[in-house]
Amino acid sequence: MSQAIASIAEQQSVYLRDFEQAPGREGEPEWLAALRRRGIEAFERRGFPHSREEAWRKTKLTAVANSHFTVKEPGALSAPLAERRPVADGPRLVFVDGRFDAGRSDREALPDGVTAAPLSELIASGDSAVAEAHLGTLAAIGEHPFAALNTAFMQDALVIHASAGKVCEAPITVVFASSDSDEQAAYPRLLAVAEPGSELRIVEQHLGGGAKYLSCPVTELDAGQGAVLSYYRLQELGEAGLQLGTVHARTDRDASLRLHALAADGQLARTDVYVDLDGPGSEAELNGLYMTAGQQFCDHHTWVNHNAEHTTSRQVFKGVLDGRSETVFDGLVKVAEGAQKTDAQQQNRNLLMSKLALAHSNPRLEIYADDVKCAHGSTTGQLDEAALFYLRSRGIGPQEAKGMLTFAFANEMLRPIRIDSLHEYERALLFRQLPGDETVREVE
Amino acid sequence: MALLEIENLHAAIDGTEILKGIDLAINPGEVHAIMGPNGSGKSTLAKVLAGDAAYEVTKGSVRFNGDDLLEMDPEIRARVGIFLGFQYPVEIPGVSNTYFLKAAVNAIRKHRGQDEMDAMEFLQLIKERAQTVKLDDALLQRPVNEGFSGGEKKRNEVFQMAVLEPSMAILDETDSGLDIDALRTVAEGVNAMRSEDRGFLVITHYQRLLNYIVPDRVHVLLGGKIVKSGGKELAEELEETGYAMFGEQAA
Repeated sequence: MSQAIASIAEQQSVYLRDFEQAPGREGEPEWLAALRRRGIEAFERRGFPHSREEAWRKTKLTAVANSHFTVKEPGALSAPLAERRPVADGPRLVFVDGRFDAGRSDREALPDGVTAAPLSELIASGDSAVAEAHLGTLAAIGEHPFAALNTAFMQDALVIHASAGKVCEAPITVVFASSDSDEQAAYPRLLAVAEPGSELRIVEQHLGGGAKYLSCPVTELDAGQGAVLSYYRLQELGEAGLQLGTVHARTDRDASLRLHALAADGQLARTDVYVDLDGPGSEAELNGLYMTAGQQFCDHHTWVNHNAEHTTSRQVFKGVLDGRSETVFDGLVKVAEGAQKTDAQQQNRNLLMSKLALAHSNPRLEIYADDVKCAHGSTTGQLDEAALFYLRSRGIGPQEAKGMLTFAFANEMLRPIRIDSLHEYERALLFRQLPGDETVREVE
Repeated sequence: MALLEIENLHAAIDGTEILKGIDLAINPGEVHAIMGPNGSGKSTLAKVLAGDAAYEVTKGSVRFNGDDLLEMDPEIRARVGIFLGFQYPVEIPGVSNTYFLKAAVNAIRKHRGQDEMDAMEFLQLIKERAQTVKLDDALLQRPVNEGFSGGEKKRNEVFQMAVLEPSMAILDETDSGLDIDALRTVAEGVNAMRSEDRGFLVITHYQRLLNYIVPDRVHVLLGGKIVKSGGKELAEELEETGYAMFGEQAA
């Protein structure tokens, strides 16, 4: 244990030194420099998370603490950008190790009043007002050390903006790819602002090759009054990828946030989703599916704060665990004093495909109002033996029967996807993990 | 050669012996009924024949078309022509009835060296077979048995049998919980499938079903053994006297 503490202490000074020595920030506007300073100061105050902290107790950070991940020039890119294309239409902006890559991006035209551009470009053209007004306003840098580090070190950011009343049906895809450079640290950043009455669909894909890298992405989602913000997050980190990411969302009056997360691989991945339902009548839907195998560790923490009356949240997270993999779902629903008529549901279900897999589930409720409807539940189990026998008694082989039942379990999480090509893509990802032959693939 | 030949079959669950030496031979074209009170081992016999791993066969043999049935995994038994209509059909959320049956039909066809059934041909087949048991078309698209009423579940079993066309069908209390209309429908479905190369083993608690599915042979199962066999008149006799007449033998 003493060794781990020593390495953590060392890490802290290492990050501060890295920050002070970071080159190439000349020419950045003062507001951005100030934001970065707030980030590193928050990290220094907060410190590297300790294994004794309740919220970090189960997250094994040794792999992060024992290497010195630094921001370097991107290496070659073996992440399969071309074949891993989740969405058929709409613009796709590619960032490699957190930096915008114009050559790999496809900047299809967006409707009037909707923009998606890298911060670097916006600053150069003098169009950074939205970024200046919103960047860093939602990220919980005081609580989450890696959100703080991102704020200090972000190499660029994608800024998506929809003006009031504008609807953008075409999904905007952002790919945060990691290069093959080992011990690379990347700090991808996304800011999406949906002004009142607007609608945005965003797909954020994290794509890794085989390198051992650390990615600490931060996404801020601001849904204005009556806005609808759909956000799909795909985690395909590659075998050795490490990720500690956060999503921070806020909803104004009557706004709707729909979040869908799919976690497919990576050695260690933790995503913290913070949602503040600030406006009365606003709602948030959070769906997550994680599929783990081997020695993977996959962690989802959700922090859903009902801060106003008549707010609704629906959370369903499902896990399919194989091998010796380990997962965490830790979900907090917090109903503030005065947030009457809150309606909150939270569910976590885990399916264990192997005896050695381990699922931690910790649904939590904190309620400070008295007229609310809150429910949560958690189940962890294996495939139903009676159902397996029933399928086999009709001639279906054992692997196919398992594949079918597993698909049926996981598929519930794919149903809310409203982008057809993305739905197909996630189905294919799911099938890659399923036992059984091609018959399973014809289900539905 | 008998279609199904059971000899001195003993089976146990969790170390408790339930079947204590069953002998039974069913020839192609015959309908046999097994009657008996609760706990006599009727359902155990059905599940052992279908290959439920919860039961351990401790002694005896079962041959199907001359082959050792007990050596086969459950899916192989289904593929060679055994069908079990479950007493309690299992709900399978998220898997549609149609898809499930298509996978089953094709697994069976593949085993027999036949090509997969064409999608249109398959849809036509299931529509037609659903009509024979008056199964609502809408249920075909629903997840297997999920939210089905008791009667719908039982009809769904007979419907599956009609689609899979087994050579040996075992129906485990397919009549229980059915009203007289549903009972007639189920019986008609079974009778429509009676043929000279197909055998049936109908397990029931009540004689009523046998008014509609008239058996060739009736066996009384008590305490894990067949205590009496006879023609269809044995069922009527039982209806009048009950199982008490076997009281001593059962003990």
